[in-house]
Amino acid sequence: MTILRQSAPVIFGRKFPKITIDQEKCTVPFLCKKCLQACPIAVFFVERVMAKEKRLEEVDPRIPGNYVVVAERRDRCTMCNRCIDVCPVDAIKIEV
Amino acid sequence: MCYLCDEYGNPEFGGGIWYLNPYNYSRNMYKLRLPGEGHKGVEASPETGESTGPTTADLLNLIEKDDREGFDRLVKQMDEGMRQGGGGQVLPLKDAEKVMDLCSPIGLIACLCRKNWRAVDERSENEYTCMGMGVGMLKWERWPERYKGGCKFVNHEEAKEWLRELDRKGFCHCLMMFGAPYIGGFCQCDFPDCNLIRWAVDFGFGVLKSHYVAQVDYDACNGCGICASRCQWGALKFEVTTKKASIDAFKCYGCGVCETGCPRKAIELIDRKSLPALAEVW
Repeated sequence: MTILRQSAPVIFGRKFPKITIDQEKCTVPFLCKKCLQACPIAVFFVERVMAKEKRLEEVDPRIPGNYVVVAERRDRCTMCNRCIDVCPVDAIKIEV
Repeated sequence: MCYLCDEYGNPEFGGGIWYLNPYNYSRNMYKLRLPGEGHKGVEASPETGESTGPTTADLLNLIEKDDREGFDRLVKQMDEGMRQGGGGQVLPLKDAEKVMDLCSPIGLIACLCRKNWRAVDERSENEYTCMGMGVGMLKWERWPERYKGGCKFVNHEEAKEWLRELDRKGFCHCLMMFGAPYIGGFCQCDFPDCNLIRWAVDFGFGVLKSHYVAQVDYDACNGCGICASRCQWGALKFEVTTKKASIDAFKCYGCGVCETGCPRKAIELIDRKSLPALAEVW
């Protein structure tokens, strides 16, 4: 049985931008959410830090370190640097 | 043939369409513990499923390393994994309403994808944009972080009204399986805030296309362009030359959001199988 799902062409061997987020500076991303909402294609992904003993608990996004933001879809980053412009703590660095 | 119907359909119900088979919503299909390392049963948090499986980052690394074989293998593995949590099929509104009559209970909850991608915090009953169905919803209180803001249980008619309202806003509808073929969730998605759509559009795995495909009636279309803003799959555009909507049927997922948004009823959903070249395009 053929299952053909057309997707955007994947360009193999392409190097994606390296996006680093300084976790020392970026402590409450879920409250700040500026980069998450400024990015045109939603490169960033914020998730709760899942400590094993806390996984059945509610966590407070106001407490530093409970949430972490990662550049999950850096393949779609155009290096427009909007996230860098809006970051209030200068935590984001993008390199080729 | 849609492989989900092939495996999970029942000719006695809904013409063999898998999501019209009531058995796929029943309690005894609900699995407390799924096999494998990545699933820890009742203790697993539905926030991540406690998944230890591959992620998008692994896919990106393989693309950068020019490893096509590894990439294809991983896509296959992730596609298979989606059957255990989150994978399913796109449904147009008319079929979504039929599904609402088959499942119970129905709980409206906060969307996890929008929380992850845009830090949208849906904390009140009027904001919820996700739906959970079946016995799994009865234990939502176990995971207060996932279901922050609670769960609003609704009856079948309220659920249909809610679906129509979200459809009007432009969200498309994707059924989710949790341990195939058990159907336990109903995503209301848009691009790029939805994992299901992003994986499908960018890498071609995960959610299946619906049993329909949208077609434009060129006599009725006046080129108003409303539908173009409603397509979440990059399949529909306004064609400048003809001044009409233009749909790439190979990219169309048959969600029908363009159809319901068209003020002139110029878009029609037709059966995918009626177009021979699309019969195997899912």
